[in-house]
Amino acid sequence: MLGAMALVVDHLTKRFGAVVALDELTFEVAPGQVFGFLGANGAGKTTTMRITLGVLEADSGTVTWRGTESHRLPRSTFGYLPEERGLYPRMRVLDQLAFFAGLHGVAPDRARREARSWLHRFRADDLADRRAEQLSKGNQQKVQFVAAVLHEPEVLMMDEPFTGLDPVNVALLREAFLELRDRGRTVVFSTHQMEVAEALCESVAIVDRGRMVVGGALRDVRRSTGRRMVRISVEGDHRLPWLDAVPGARVVQAGMDRTMIELEPGLEPDAVLAAAVGAGARVTHFEIADPSLEQVFIDHVGRSVDEDVHLAPVAEGAA
Amino acid sequence: MSMERRRANVWLVARREFSERVRSRAFVFSTILLAGMAVVVALIPLGVRLADKATVSRVAVTSAEPGLAAQAMGTMNSFLNTSAEPGASATANKVFDFVAYADEGAAAQAVRDGQLVASISIQRGDDGGLRFTVFNIGGLAADRAQLLQVGAFAVGILDWTRSNPGATRPFVTPAFSVVDAGDAAAAGPGQAFDPADYASRRIVGIVFVVLSFLTLVFYGLWVASGVVAEKSSRVMELLISAATAQQLVVGKILGIGLAGLAQVSLVLLPSVVALFASGSIGDALLGPDSGTGASLSSLSPGLLAAFLVYFVLGFGLYAALYAAAGSLLSREEDLQTVALPLSIPAVAGYLPAVLALSGSTSWLVRVASYVPLWSPFAMMARLAVGRVAPWEVALSVGLLLVTVPLVTLLAIRVYRAGVVMYGQPPSPRTFWRAIRGG
Repeated sequence: MLGAMALVVDHLTKRFGAVVALDELTFEVAPGQVFGFLGANGAGKTTTMRITLGVLEADSGTVTWRGTESHRLPRSTFGYLPEERGLYPRMRVLDQLAFFAGLHGVAPDRARREARSWLHRFRADDLADRRAEQLSKGNQQKVQFVAAVLHEPEVLMMDEPFTGLDPVNVALLREAFLELRDRGRTVVFSTHQMEVAEALCESVAIVDRGRMVVGGALRDVRRSTGRRMVRISVEGDHRLPWLDAVPGARVVQAGMDRTMIELEPGLEPDAVLAAAVGAGARVTHFEIADPSLEQVFIDHVGRSVDEDVHLAPVAEGAA
Repeated sequence: MSMERRRANVWLVARREFSERVRSRAFVFSTILLAGMAVVVALIPLGVRLADKATVSRVAVTSAEPGLAAQAMGTMNSFLNTSAEPGASATANKVFDFVAYADEGAAAQAVRDGQLVASISIQRGDDGGLRFTVFNIGGLAADRAQLLQVGAFAVGILDWTRSNPGATRPFVTPAFSVVDAGDAAAAGPGQAFDPADYASRRIVGIVFVVLSFLTLVFYGLWVASGVVAEKSSRVMELLISAATAQQLVVGKILGIGLAGLAQVSLVLLPSVVALFASGSIGDALLGPDSGTGASLSSLSPGLLAAFLVYFVLGFGLYAALYAAAGSLLSREEDLQTVALPLSIPAVAGYLPAVLALSGSTSWLVRVASYVPLWSPFAMMARLAVGRVAPWEVALSVGLLLVTVPLVTLLAIRVYRAGVVMYGQPPSPRTFWRAIRGG
């Protein structure tokens, strides 16, 4: 294992009164990785981050970075983008950024220069002299991201960084993540958007109700359910009528372009391809695939990542 | 974390707080308002003097020597009650209403009953000179007492020329003394006060007590509302991940304290000028009068230094409490519900301070002047009035010096737990949990 070099969350437990927020949560993040921390609301993601930052104390268990307990490390080791965004409403953006960087020991001149360069990257040069209360939510989020990275922390803890951003800004932020990783930073971010995690992460951890469900390299996690899939594109009839003749093949995600098919144990991918060719379908794409993270999440947790948020009140009303 | 980093962060937080406060509209408005109020307070003595000019003091005159009382009354009446300007009616300038009393004891009783402002007893000494003793119970203003002394001098000269036509006996300046029974009671055994000085000390004391009370509660609320604002705007999440609770609490108290000190200076400066000016204005309008000039005499540098010490320490104490309280709230609306209970300790200290200003040295006043939450008011009042032993000041300052860091440490504990707590209603239980769990 990575052990001494990694960010190690070890049997972390935290209770708030009767509520168990973290229950012996354990996982590792290799240095220099982009790590996705996946779970529904209330899974314990924010609590884990707060304990890592030394803002909260764990009831038991530890978080260590390169062998040292995280709350003993200088605060500037970490950069934090909290889930609850907030800036000083009346303060100018550049002043705030210099202030927060200053708390981490960055000299004012350097902080201002770096802040301007980050704002430029986010196509937000004009924000520098505005007051925070005049910013849109998306722009506030960009400023907060800059606040988290200005002091060049070794580890970035980002709580739901993509929530509320439009696609253009999501793309800008993704680029920034990858660049930070290339500079050797370790990026940990929580999300409930599985597609984002799939596209960005080298490793993920899926947590539910404070417990580790499954974690590790993205590929291993995706294969952890034992499901086997093929993805196929054909010209002509997208409903794939010939598939009925293949026992053990089931469409899990139909699409105009690509269709995801799950294979039952014993059925080989070749059989699907052979059936397609035999039926005279023109195959333009065929791929042996892993299930989506969304599917993995449902398989392990028993419900969708968004489900408790959207469906709980309805279910209550129906009962 | 290195010591320099810690100190640098405290200073960064303090500087941000200071500049945000000083630039805010509320700061500018409250500074102007308070400065205006302070000037009004500073001008009160002048107003009292102006109002005093219109009143007539009833004074008894008694003497064991036959005819002397009537003679003195006539002389003083013509000397003190007639206008210097020709044409002005005699009553318009009437200051004293002299009443003859046969018996000194009866006159003193009338003063005690409040029928008279004072009674003058005239005795002849062995050298032939006259002795005037003015008895009153705090009712005779300093400038009136001075007028009576002038009158007594005139009576003495006329008496000398009348009883001693050949001028064989040398003139003896009449002895003149004021006995203030009220003041003597307040002063207790030991030193007695010059009534003018005492009045001045009281005015200065009132200003300091009111100022201490207002500033500590007011700036304390700044601290609490600053913490709540950081929580409700959620900027706290970023703050607490960048700096420690200790740096944030100490920095905030320091920054707001300096802003408060700046405001106090801006408020006091015009009123001190007004106080000085009112002396000259009064003299110009009403003629020279050393009595009112003395209203500044008790505003000594020592007293100002004491105010500074008690402001700094008192603010440290109150600000720490307010910071802890603020950290337990989630919304700025909640602050209104706790603002009143938070001000109770200050109000409780204000009461003994007012008692101290009236010259009381009861156990309540004394104890209050040592208790750290109250000493900024109560000891300030006692210092302004006077009669405080050095060990008492040392004890009260010493207790503050011990209490402030202890309470600040406790506040930091509460703050550390409180700032990440949202939604819990502010109750003694959450407070207690925060102290234990911090």
